[in-house]
Amino acid sequence: MGDGTKTYLVATDVGGTCTDTVVFAVGEPVILGKALSTPPDFAHGVLDSIKSAADQMDITVEELLARTSLFVHGSTVVDNAILTRGGAKVGLLTTQGFEDTLLVTRGGYGRWAGLTEERMKNMVKTDRAAPLVDRNLIAGIPERTDYKGAIIRELDEDATRGAIKELVGQGVEAIAISFLWSFYNQKNELRAQELVKDIDPSIYTSISSHIAPTPGEYERTSTTVINAYAGDIARNYIENLADLLKNNKYAGPVMIMQGYGGLLLASEAANRAIGMLECGPAAGVIGSKALGELLDQKDVIATDMGGTTFKVSVIQGGQIEYAREPMIDRFHYTQPKIEVVSIGAGGGSIVWIEEGTNIPRVGPRSAGSRPGPVCYGLGGDEPTLTDVFMLIGYMDPKIFLGGSMNLDKEAARKVFDAKIAKPMGLSVEEAAYGIFRVATAQITDLIREITVERGLDPRDFVMHAFGGSCGMVSSTFGAELGVKKIVVPYTASVNCAFGLISADIVHEYSVVKTLPMPSPLSEFPPLFDPMKEKALKVLADEGFSGDKVILDWSVDLRYSRQVHEVTTPLKSILPLTKEGLERLSHDFETLYERKYGKGSAFREAGIEMTQFRLTARGLMSHPDMSPSPKFGEDSSKAVVGRREIFVEARSAMVESDIYDFTLLQTGNVIVGPAVIHTPITTIVVQDRQRGIMDEYRNIVIELG
Amino acid sequence: MSTRQSRTLIVENASICCAECKKSIAPAGTSWKSAAALTRTRVIDIPGSTSSTHPDVEIRHFSCPACGALLDSETALPEDPFLDDILTSK
Amino acid sequence: MDPITFSIIRHRLYRVVEEAVITLKHVSGSAITNEGHDLMVSLYEADGTLLLGGVGFLHHLTSAAEACKSIIRRFEGDVHEGDLFLLNDPFTAALHTSDIYLVSPIHYKGELIAWSACFVHVYDIGAMNPGGFAPEAQDVFSEGFSSPGLKLVDRGDLRQDIWDTLLNMVRGPEMVALDLRSMIACNNVAKDRMISLVEKYGLPTFQETCKTLVAQSETRLRERLLEFPDGSWESRQYFDVKGEVYKVLLKMTKKGDELIFDFTGSSPQSKYSVNCTKWASLGGLFAPLFPLLCYDITWNEGVIRPIKVIAPEGSIVNCTKPSPVSVATVGAIQSVNNAACTTIGKMLASHEKYDDQTSAVWHANHFAVFMFGKNQKGGDAIGILTETFAGSGGARTFADGVDIGGEIPNPISRMANVETVEAMFPVRYLFRRRLQDSGGGGEFRGGTGGELALVPHDAPDGGLHYVLSGKGSKFPQSEGLAGGNPGAINDYVWVHSPDAEQGHNCFSQSLSSIPGEKEAISWGVFPLMGNDALYVRWNGGGGVGDPLDRDPHSVLLDVTNQVISIDAAREIFGVQIQGQSLDVDGTTNLRTSLRKERFATNGGK
Repeated sequence: MGDGTKTYLVATDVGGTCTDTVVFAVGEPVILGKALSTPPDFAHGVLDSIKSAADQMDITVEELLARTSLFVHGSTVVDNAILTRGGAKVGLLTTQGFEDTLLVTRGGYGRWAGLTEERMKNMVKTDRAAPLVDRNLIAGIPERTDYKGAIIRELDEDATRGAIKELVGQGVEAIAISFLWSFYNQKNELRAQELVKDIDPSIYTSISSHIAPTPGEYERTSTTVINAYAGDIARNYIENLADLLKNNKYAGPVMIMQGYGGLLLASEAANRAIGMLECGPAAGVIGSKALGELLDQKDVIATDMGGTTFKVSVIQGGQIEYAREPMIDRFHYTQPKIEVVSIGAGGGSIVWIEEGTNIPRVGPRSAGSRPGPVCYGLGGDEPTLTDVFMLIGYMDPKIFLGGSMNLDKEAARKVFDAKIAKPMGLSVEEAAYGIFRVATAQITDLIREITVERGLDPRDFVMHAFGGSCGMVSSTFGAELGVKKIVVPYTASVNCAFGLISADIVHEYSVVKTLPMPSPLSEFPPLFDPMKEKALKVLADEGFSGDKVILDWSVDLRYSRQVHEVTTPLKSILPLTKEGLERLSHDFETLYERKYGKGSAFREAGIEMTQFRLTARGLMSHPDMSPSPKFGEDSSKAVVGRREIFVEARSAMVESDIYDFTLLQTGNVIVGPAVIHTPITTIVVQDRQRGIMDEYRNIVIELG
Repeated sequence: MSTRQSRTLIVENASICCAECKKSIAPAGTSWKSAAALTRTRVIDIPGSTSSTHPDVEIRHFSCPACGALLDSETALPEDPFLDDILTSK
Repeated sequence: MDPITFSIIRHRLYRVVEEAVITLKHVSGSAITNEGHDLMVSLYEADGTLLLGGVGFLHHLTSAAEACKSIIRRFEGDVHEGDLFLLNDPFTAALHTSDIYLVSPIHYKGELIAWSACFVHVYDIGAMNPGGFAPEAQDVFSEGFSSPGLKLVDRGDLRQDIWDTLLNMVRGPEMVALDLRSMIACNNVAKDRMISLVEKYGLPTFQETCKTLVAQSETRLRERLLEFPDGSWESRQYFDVKGEVYKVLLKMTKKGDELIFDFTGSSPQSKYSVNCTKWASLGGLFAPLFPLLCYDITWNEGVIRPIKVIAPEGSIVNCTKPSPVSVATVGAIQSVNNAACTTIGKMLASHEKYDDQTSAVWHANHFAVFMFGKNQKGGDAIGILTETFAGSGGARTFADGVDIGGEIPNPISRMANVETVEAMFPVRYLFRRRLQDSGGGGEFRGGTGGELALVPHDAPDGGLHYVLSGKGSKFPQSEGLAGGNPGAINDYVWVHSPDAEQGHNCFSQSLSSIPGEKEAISWGVFPLMGNDALYVRWNGGGGVGDPLDRDPHSVLLDVTNQVISIDAAREIFGVQIQGQSLDVDGTTNLRTSLRKERFATNGGK
């Protein structure tokens, strides 16, 4: 292992546009690498990104990887496969009589879900997305399990074999199997899977009782189909990645991020394509959580503004929330997945005027990175938010991407004048301020919505600002929301990669069973014990035991006559006692009332437990972020100029100091209004705000 | 100069005409269905109906008397008049 | 008005409605509100004019406006900060007694500045049949608690006497209490958010925004109407209840920038509870008007101003008290929806520019199957079959209708999973799928409806009962456009099992193969017991254009996917299929001869 003195932790996140790398070594500054992503195989981009980091360390990729003890990875490869429809030809075996379940999407649900309200209103123009399986590749199998898991119709093996042969004859590469109520009794699905293997072992199979054992046949079937669709892609990707790393002298384990914010060993992740969906944003939230833990902040609103979208998620009391009705593209699925909501308001979002009303709008259409904003000079002719940031003085045309690219402010101004300012009858300046306000208002409304949805008040939270554009906007929308503190982290633009190295190995288990509250205590060990046994064994095989294992139990509960379920942490030690059960019930009611409002509980109908969950965590050693020693408050050495910038509170351009981030030192204070340029992003401190560089080189903005 | 009356009819030279063959069917601004070729089919006879269907309710198909292009349709009990769509301007 | 501030405030007003809707769904937690989205929240100006209507059941936007206005009239001088009013009388403003409006005044610094209103279809209202649809009611007096306006909360204090009286008259009072609490919470959220908005921007700016929003909508709709030729378009809807045939006639006239909906000639009011009041008809015609004609215009009073309605008193679309109306929402109101959808669709089709915004009629025939009994665990099983919310899409001029794709008056409806129903009710589905040959034929076919069959399963009482009401099974109602056929009709069949004992399991895959005598039903209260089955099929959407113009490959695909039968392929679409593939020549010949048949007998008349 080289000179044997240093071992590295390398994390690479493959996003839609960029592949980011973070290299960590104890006692060393964190190295950030970035390269463009290379769809559809993405492998090149991974190497480029690692090389970008290695270059900064003056070593080769092989030298770096030879000294790397752990490689952690997240990738958009599965998301990409769905979005570009690049997956396998899938066949579906399902209970006879219910062949249309996947295609019919519970009625209009698949037609309107995922659309903005504006698009929903124009109903004539709405449609479902074309399904991932054609009707002629869906076979109804004579079999039936009932609501209590009793098999009332045995699997007709002849019919099943016939259906499988027919599908194979049609050239399917993967087969999904989803029978009614299979999560209570896997028998028929398992047998059908065996029959597929008998007939053609090369066919990738996925069964619903394994991949998504929860009630609701539409979502469960959809999940199984997506998993089958992307199954081989995920498997091949992960295997190729492992080979690629090995060929470049890496000899350690490879871990893959999942949408619920935990890692799995590559060998296991390879069998759960669906687990990788949205793992990038999940890593981002984990990164925010880790940053929060570092700074002793338990209540965080994590915001991420990239080129196309603005994403938010909420961490409350250190807990992350799972999404209730996740979707990928226009498809529903059901997996534990971190809740992240988004709107089309990113740096590349196009600014436009609404026909007929002359009202200015931002997004959701985006100019992307090609042709990109007008000021990029790559042929973009529609003004974007980035152009607006230019016009209001936040961006410096000469220092974009570390000076590697000059931005054309004049072109931006011309186009903005013609397309936005003139039609609104305003000066370029007034129009630019106005658009900035429209965009920040939209973002403020989105954040309010996600916090109100959970009964929370943004004023009780700290905000984290990630992503390329967030630093310029967060001090404005943060102020509007009433947060007291905004952290723009040092690793803001590679947050997802940073999140990867903060994550742990996590296995999620669950058992569906409906039990009234209270139930005899004897009901619980048969539910909990098998999960515990399985989890401990799996973790032990992965090298985790003793105090490196944390078992977090939770139970989904609801009031029997109402639909809302709340996942409630089980705080008492197992085995469950009468007091423990009472405590669970009490905690459920508290959480329910907090989220759904006072008086929202219909207690008289009784409480039911519907699902029992285990989140089994294998604790990884995380890099210690070594704090730097503090210098003084005087930041004047970092001032590199002055120019006019838009100060929201004064509705005017005000001459302000411009700072170079690389010249700032721990403890330095920046009094707003001011702009801080970092090699990758720009941070704006507004009037009556103070920016402080903390001991980890984050910029912490304190709001008045 | 012809203007559109519907997906299947145009108005040209003060006449309502078939959009496909352009032949005149009726004067502009009048009820044209009586001048069209009419086919009547009982709903109960159409694939997809059940025995609960009213025995008399029919679908009326109005076609161009010159070329047979389908112009319009309506659901009706035999005793009910044609539904009229009449443009009075443009 | 400054376009930036306007843009922001408008966006914020939408969020006010959205947050109130979230609150409504959260606090209620009921299936009908959360799955069926049978709800509405909207905002009104101080004088009751509709300021902003959101997505939800669109029938209610205008009737809630009337509710506000009638509260203002009735309580003049007695409207205070912190008040909350309840109204559910169909002859005053509501659609039927089950749809309770809660209406709150919003005050800022002591001044009345706005109203918020919401509704849900409550769990029960004390009608003679459970669940609110009362097919057996002979007058409105048997349709449960009904108020033309009462003050439920007085300056922040709940009137316990009214609360207790209302709950005293309904089944499942705890569930109704929850419905009411959710609406109270919803209005409180709307009020808080509105006040924050006004606080931030100031009252004058807020009021200017409201005026501008309404004026803008009016201007834009009038401008749009001027684009269409002047003229009149007619439609007609039939439906039946227990053998009686009803007609809703509509003549929609456009003159300049005004639109008149004239229902003269519609049947007199019925003795059955399918009637609708004047307010219901108004609501019924705006339900398609908003999404079809105002898909890019804010839904508010401005859109209502250019519209006039003529509905003769004593007719089925403007019934007089005490006509029964509890089934209105799946009865005459929907016929008004459908009729308006047809005439608006024809007007849209009269202009090239709006060709791709027109549509045939969607899911015209709601059915209310309300089940009640004991569930597998001995508790109460009560609720509506949500498949009625699954609907079917009408065809467009550029694409087929969406199979089981929803309905126009409720943009965000959906049905429950089979597993959800089987967990809550002692029943088992034999099948649930798209209904073959239900989409109206056309160049673009209507979306299919669906079919399902249920049998009792593990029912402690041997089964359960259900209340069935709707517009019957005799007449197609999802009209086609430009020559397209209507979607196929609903049907409800009670299969009387020949086998009296329980214990054998049926796995029949079609109605015809379920053993037993088939009895078509349509209206009343029925049992589902023993080995009997209930079969329900619902209508497809209307088609657009000539079925003989449909791409034969699409027809072949439809046949392969079992949504069109071989017979229909041949008879309606003129497509010949040989085995698994198209007989191209046979198709050409058949289509030529079918076309000839159209004008052979009376060509050149």
